[in-house]
Amino acid sequence: MSTHTLTWLLAIPLLGSVAVLAIPRSREGIIKKFSIGVMLVEFVVSLRLYWVDYSTPGYRLVEQVTWVESLGISYKLGVDGLSLWLVLLTTALTPIALYASWGSITTRIKEYAFSFLLLELGMLGAFVALDLFLFYVFWELMLVPMYLIIGVWGGKDRVYAAVKFFLYTFFGSLLMLVAILYIVAAYKELTGQYTFDLEKLTTLMLPAVPQYLLFSAFAVAFAIKVPMFPFHTWLPDAHVQAPTGGSVILAAVLLKLGIYGFIRFAMPLFPVASQVIGPTLAAFGVLGIIYGAYAAWVQRDLKKLVAYSSVSHMGFILLGLFAMNRNGVSGAILQMINHGVSTGALFLLVGVIYDRRHSRMLDDFGGLAKVMPWYATAFVIITMSSIGLPGTNGFVGEFMILGGAFFSRGAVGLGNNWFVMTLLAATGVIFAAVYMLHAVLRMFWGKVTHPENESLPDLNRREAWALIPLVALVFWIGLYPKFFLDKMNPSVDAFISDFSIRYRQSQGISKAQLADLKAIDPEESGSYVLARHAEEGR
Amino acid sequence: MHEDASQQLALLLIILFPLAGAVVNGLFGRRLPRSLVGFIGVGSVTVSFILSITAFAELFALRGEGVHEAVLTYQFYEWFSLKLPSGAEVAINVRFLMDSLSGVMTLIVTGVGGLIHLYSVGYMSDDDGYPRFFSYLNLFMASMLILVLGSSLPVMFVGWEGVGLCSYLLIGYWYENRDYASAGRKAFVANRVGDFGVLIGMFILVGVVGSFEFADINAAAAQGYFRKDFMMWPFGVVPSIATVACLFLFLGCTGKSAQIPLYVWLPDAMAGPTPVSALIHAATMVTAGVYLCCRLSPLFITSDVAMSVIAVTGTLTALLAATIAVTQREMKKILAYSTVSQLGFMFAAVGVGYFAAGFFHVFTHAFFKACLFLGAGSVMHAVHAHGDADIFKLGGLKKQLPTTRWTFLVSCLAIAGVPLTSGFFSKDEILLGATAQIFRSDDSLMVAVGWFTLIGLTLAAVMTAFYMFRLYFLTFTGEYRSAGESSDGHGYDAHPHESPASMKIPLIFLGLGAIFAGYLGMPHITPFVGTHLPSWWGHWMEASVAGHALPESMNTINIASGLALAAMAIGIGSAWVLYRNKSKDVLAEKVPARLYALVFDKWRVDELYDTVIIGPIKQVATLVGRIDMTFVDALLTRLPSFNAREVGRFLSRMQNGVVHTYGMVLVIGVVSVMAMFWTPRAHVEGALEGETLQLVAAPGFGYEYRWDGDSDGEFESGWSTKRIYAPTYGPEDVRKIFLYVRSPRTGASDHYSLTEQWTRLDLARLDAAWRRTQGSLPIVARLEDGKVQLRMNGAQVFGRTDTPDVIELPTGRGTGIENVLMVPRATVEATVEVRNAFGNVSTASREMTLPDGYLPEQHALLLDATKEGSR
Repeated sequence: MSTHTLTWLLAIPLLGSVAVLAIPRSREGIIKKFSIGVMLVEFVVSLRLYWVDYSTPGYRLVEQVTWVESLGISYKLGVDGLSLWLVLLTTALTPIALYASWGSITTRIKEYAFSFLLLELGMLGAFVALDLFLFYVFWELMLVPMYLIIGVWGGKDRVYAAVKFFLYTFFGSLLMLVAILYIVAAYKELTGQYTFDLEKLTTLMLPAVPQYLLFSAFAVAFAIKVPMFPFHTWLPDAHVQAPTGGSVILAAVLLKLGIYGFIRFAMPLFPVASQVIGPTLAAFGVLGIIYGAYAAWVQRDLKKLVAYSSVSHMGFILLGLFAMNRNGVSGAILQMINHGVSTGALFLLVGVIYDRRHSRMLDDFGGLAKVMPWYATAFVIITMSSIGLPGTNGFVGEFMILGGAFFSRGAVGLGNNWFVMTLLAATGVIFAAVYMLHAVLRMFWGKVTHPENESLPDLNRREAWALIPLVALVFWIGLYPKFFLDKMNPSVDAFISDFSIRYRQSQGISKAQLADLKAIDPEESGSYVLARHAEEGR
Repeated sequence: MHEDASQQLALLLIILFPLAGAVVNGLFGRRLPRSLVGFIGVGSVTVSFILSITAFAELFALRGEGVHEAVLTYQFYEWFSLKLPSGAEVAINVRFLMDSLSGVMTLIVTGVGGLIHLYSVGYMSDDDGYPRFFSYLNLFMASMLILVLGSSLPVMFVGWEGVGLCSYLLIGYWYENRDYASAGRKAFVANRVGDFGVLIGMFILVGVVGSFEFADINAAAAQGYFRKDFMMWPFGVVPSIATVACLFLFLGCTGKSAQIPLYVWLPDAMAGPTPVSALIHAATMVTAGVYLCCRLSPLFITSDVAMSVIAVTGTLTALLAATIAVTQREMKKILAYSTVSQLGFMFAAVGVGYFAAGFFHVFTHAFFKACLFLGAGSVMHAVHAHGDADIFKLGGLKKQLPTTRWTFLVSCLAIAGVPLTSGFFSKDEILLGATAQIFRSDDSLMVAVGWFTLIGLTLAAVMTAFYMFRLYFLTFTGEYRSAGESSDGHGYDAHPHESPASMKIPLIFLGLGAIFAGYLGMPHITPFVGTHLPSWWGHWMEASVAGHALPESMNTINIASGLALAAMAIGIGSAWVLYRNKSKDVLAEKVPARLYALVFDKWRVDELYDTVIIGPIKQVATLVGRIDMTFVDALLTRLPSFNAREVGRFLSRMQNGVVHTYGMVLVIGVVSVMAMFWTPRAHVEGALEGETLQLVAAPGFGYEYRWDGDSDGEFESGWSTKRIYAPTYGPEDVRKIFLYVRSPRTGASDHYSLTEQWTRLDLARLDAAWRRTQGSLPIVARLEDGKVQLRMNGAQVFGRTDTPDVIELPTGRGTGIENVLMVPRATVEATVEVRNAFGNVSTASREMTLPDGYLPEQHALLLDATKEGSR
């Protein structure tokens, strides 16, 4: 097992889903316990990834088996500091989401468990695949169970939402497929052999114009998934209609695949294009931060409010990513985890109240703090994490992202458009407080105005157990983020230096000149501390 | 900075005790007996206070041993790190530091905080949420102590936002009242606006300094690292980084410390329980902004612009809030505006460069304002007023509430600035600072700011004395105006009673502080008399806080003290005349009713903000919500689906089986195809095949080509089907000569057409080494005698001292000078004629650059040829 950890990670949910099919439909209790059990085993197995050394660049736990030799397709898996935490986030949150679902899903239990296990397989596969074809297979694979989860177990307009979700994502995927085929063809023309291997394909340096087109094709696929403004309109519909468990996975993991796609595929394959188009995407991210916040503020449906807050948060992550420095990229990855934890928890909390009242309209509530004090406490804690209060996880991520954007073009980055973007993004911190506290005010404070709310039960044991790990993570990441950052930073550094070397090579600068460039002129960029250290060194 | 290598665990414990109290009471408080909850709440803060005293004593001893910059530190762990563009890692450490400044602040927070916790045991005894209250209050203490003891900006920011959270929770403590909860939200959002400024300010500072530690920032500021001019979009050149950074930080201060324009949350914050108002919204949290300015005083003092902004903002706030306080009817409202006004005094002191004086006012204000709030709470407790107490329904309470009355009176005397009380000493120092600025500075702006501050603060001081004694007289003198009231909910309890001991003890301690705390900071020279006094405060603070030297001139000192005394006398005197033993608002009858109403309505600033800022934002949000559901969704979802459906419908209609339609489509198709092939397509490209230059024409069905390689009008080949042609070029074929300049570092590459006239090279696009040349004339190039000449015009390329004035570039290949590549190049023009099967002819020609070294030997000739003139 030690050498095939990643294959086991894919095999466990696959075998689990087959096994679920074998359990008789009437044994609901066993199906529920079994599927959770499989996911917990999966989580324990995935913990092994933490003890792998990621301090030097490169992929770990790599497995490669030729699949279709004539086309150069192989089954190639690997993990590094960029994907480590996303894998762990997936294996940790899927059981929580499924466990929470068992409180509210009452029909077709067997199919639900099957879909969830298949979904986990798809997501993990996409995070560990290092072959473009394999990645595409997993990318499409996870679309199907999610489509079913929304379309079968969703709300009133579930079919509309499911089809919209499917078509949007599928449209993007097709563009990506065309782009993948183009790169493979270009590689064949140059070297005479077919390959879908990411590591080989990244050695290819395409001319600028094809790069722009191909990057755009990838970017559309990933931007829809993120979702980046203005491709976000599928998200509120999908969230509102999806069952609680589906919403949690959708927000916590599925959206992350969009960003992950940029980091793993689009940016290394097309450095010139991402350098040129990246700032525009960051600007769209900033637009999304503000737009999402505004839209969230006026929602009357709590779930929609949380969905729009996702648009806002994902805008931060885009900004950090395309700042293209350590702070920004590490911050973006950390913020992906944070968003998974906080927004996942928010959707759980929305589910709690929906199960009790079958309504999510803010107008139907008020004064719940009196009736459900623990629920209110959990909600306020997660709210604070969502708006980035220092000490919670949200702060560290946002701080690093803003730091990344601020330092994107030099030490005192005041004279450029990145400074303006930083300023605008930082106003998102204000708006986050506005819309989230608006929701808290309408939900919890004031007197109980609706008699049917007077006797609502507080969190039950199942809900509490689903929330406790998330609340613990909120403070863990908030107070000791180094635990997470130390594992990812070397990979992020390698990612950035690879990227800039390749970008500069394409601009006709040799490696020798690059080394020369790195020798920093202390007067030009030196800060007080650097100068002091230099003095002390003398 | 002298670091004490030993870890001072006490600093961590000072924070952890209240934090543990908050956790225990928050999680288990509802199951614990009330007495234990109160014990945990008060006990944890008391332990914290004792630890603070021991730590402070150690610090004091160090100072006594002559260690001037003595600090105690505790390094807990590394939180996370940022990476600067220079590649340096900036670790953000959870590290606590106690120096002269934070030591005093810690004592204020734990000392006053402890007393207020004790007071709360009695005051909140009947409340249902007792454990929740103590949990929040302890959490506030922990956050405030993190704010004070944090040794770097991000750690301070944890406390900074933490106290904001606690303030939010405690203002909305009685959450069943929706207005109270709204007030909490208002406070949080106003603070967030300020926090945005702190966040940006932090990044600017770390960009310059390379560290988040206060000590490093201050040291860098002292060494002038912030004085650089720099470009800032869209303002152009901005005076100094310090100004920008300080203004962003000050935005944060206006939020936390309730200054214009963000002060509006503080009066509403009185919705919280009275101990909260005393602790958070008077004594500690709201002074955090002043604390931050003092913490970074070496930075602030480097920017005259930022300092002036602070002084003017502080003065305006002091004036505005004082006018409002004069008209209010409710005890806590008056005290709230008084707090805003006093905070304005503190910022004015900071703004004129007397940080220690500003912080001294923080210190004295903590005692008398906490005492006043707790006194108001005691009155409200006595008459069973909920929320706030209308002073026109009170009166004559000196008989029933003797302890409250005496402590309240003492505090009123202090805040009004009666000589020998604490407020006198601190306010006197502030006015002295403003006066000193007038006499010290040569800059007319600074002198104007000094005058403005001095006059504004004097007026505010008059009003302070006036409204405080208005409050005192209406509450404690005359007849009790609710005596005949029954408890039908409109009036107050007919029989007020003095509060229990747990409430009286804090009042007495704070009242004593209100009188005696000032003796720590006596003026260095007695006004009018001229005796030199030992000023312990100034001496103690100078280790941590920068600031201007105190003036020695007796005139300056006498003016300041004279004004302070006059203001106090006028204020108290007029209140005595107007309100002593009165029951009506006499002032309201003496000023125009509309003006009075306007002031009473707080100058309608809230309404102004609603109309000008909040309303439009809300409208935009509503609009965005609508646009998202209609326009964006329509464009990306409904329009494509509509298109797909309609195109499908149209195409299916085409297949309708009518032969006419099919025939017409056929004809249109044939005609279009023929039109496409009627004229040939001519296109030519050059390609290098080994050493030979080849011309390649675009292919086509039945095309024939003929070539004119040098475009001289004579075709060198006849019609043939060969679409590749390899001409040879000689010097006579050259059309143009240009200089190709490429700078790999900047990525710039330029072509300059060369003639015999000098052509100017654009240096701004070249390598940095070139840009640094200090030549008065630009670098130019021209053709001379068949060679390319570069004239440096006296400029020196960086790193070379021997740059000759005229450089002749070798012909035919590139020359690299300091990372810049220069190649003279020649162009030729090629033409192709294409004929198709219809006999139609098209022509294409293209100008091409000859490859470097194509004609190396003939290069000189080549240049000569061009010199003779072009065709």
